[in-house]
Amino acid sequence: MKNSKMTLSAETMNLDFVKKVEKLSDSSVRRCFQCGKCSAGCPMRTFMEHPPNRIVRLLQLGQYERVLAGRSIWYCASCETCSTRCPNKVDLAAIMDALRKCSWDAQGHSKESLVQLANRLFLDNIRTYGRQYEMRLAAAFNLHSGKLLKDFMLGPKLLTKGKLKMFHQKNKNLAEIEKIFRRIEELRKKGEAP
Amino acid sequence: MPTKNVLNYSYYPGCSLHASAKEYDESTQELFKILRIGLQEVPDWLCCGATPAHNVDELLSLSLCAKNLELADGVQGDLAVACAACFSRLKTAQHKLEENPEKRKQVEYALDAPLAMDKPVKHLLEILAKDYGLEQLGAAMRKSLSGLKVACYYGCLLTRPAEVPQLDCAEAPTIMERVIEAMGAETVKWSHRLECCGANFTLSRPGVVLQLSNEILASAQRAGADCIMVACPLCHANLDIRQKDIEAASGTRYNLPVLYMTQLLALGAGVSAKKLGFDSMMVSPLPLLKEKGLV
Repeated sequence: MKNSKMTLSAETMNLDFVKKVEKLSDSSVRRCFQCGKCSAGCPMRTFMEHPPNRIVRLLQLGQYERVLAGRSIWYCASCETCSTRCPNKVDLAAIMDALRKCSWDAQGHSKESLVQLANRLFLDNIRTYGRQYEMRLAAAFNLHSGKLLKDFMLGPKLLTKGKLKMFHQKNKNLAEIEKIFRRIEELRKKGEAP
Repeated sequence: MPTKNVLNYSYYPGCSLHASAKEYDESTQELFKILRIGLQEVPDWLCCGATPAHNVDELLSLSLCAKNLELADGVQGDLAVACAACFSRLKTAQHKLEENPEKRKQVEYALDAPLAMDKPVKHLLEILAKDYGLEQLGAAMRKSLSGLKVACYYGCLLTRPAEVPQLDCAEAPTIMERVIEAMGAETVKWSHRLECCGANFTLSRPGVVLQLSNEILASAQRAGADCIMVACPLCHANLDIRQKDIEAASGTRYNLPVLYMTQLLALGAGVSAKKLGFDSMMVSPLPLLKEKGLV
């Protein structure tokens, strides 16, 4: 995909998507002039097929399908180096969040990557328990990803050091937490929130 | 009769401090007790949503943080936060909801209440360096950390992006160095103190962490550091809990203890080493601390 030719025309460019991303992220996409500073400082660039500055360029050219199809957005670590260094105040970390949300909304669980699986289990944990319990999260991740023995040797060591709790209490305000999740769903159903 | 506190804060420990980073919580409580800074934990605080929430659902992330700030509003004092990620999320929520009335309206609907977001959110570093003061901190020293060469590791979220945490300069901070030097330690100059450790990929893509954290350990070793000092539970997990895996993958022996800043400060302030959770770390700092005459 890196060097493949791109034909730009009104039919192949989706500029509405740029506006959507700009609104979601509170950041301009169009202000980027391709200095490349974001990619120069990105610790994850070697894991990405499109480095950050190319993601922005693809968005500017309306090529959102290429951006969402790749794994790059899921390999952003949200370290905020790009947003800190951009000379044009393009908030690339926020743009990455917006792109992940678009991708997350567009595809169901069946196609989720390991990163997405970890995110989903993390959020499920908050809804059910109010807080994150690392042991439960790691066990659920191994179960759902089929990597049952991942970090198998680490578990007992952490347990003996008191770093993993086998039992824990639930928050007392779980009903209030559930209400937050429900009301966000309501807003989305009514089309009043992205 | 207990002596009166000089400062008082509400306290948001965050999920890790109740589990894998319990020594960060314990050493924070011990340090603040000896400095006579009051900490009152916010009742029923919930997860800030961390990276997974803002990664895919900003509204949820903002709502969870707004709910926590509402809960904190019921406790006296500015909000003290230990975890760099929780600190970053809570500050980001304040920043975004201040700037964007549309998002604010959505979060108000989610919480079904007017927002109470104005309480100042402060990382422990800020409380120690600015509110308590470096001079006071130096005066609280009972056992100098002199001779201990510390690599202060900031990671990402204590300082970035520039306009959100406002803890120190985003590209060349010195707050960690100043705080630990006040306790007599020596700090090293090194290249990777602001680089990312691989963060929450530790669960889904541990290979990323093995690579990025390896570079951080190598840089600290090159600089001649005796140990690395951190202020974030996830950085700690990646550099300490995964250090054996990193050594195996890179074929390099580091054996570099990774300590929370509150553990080192509490040690200098005269708290007994037994209360500071040194036993629960994967790379034991005890041989080093013994060698330096600190335990």
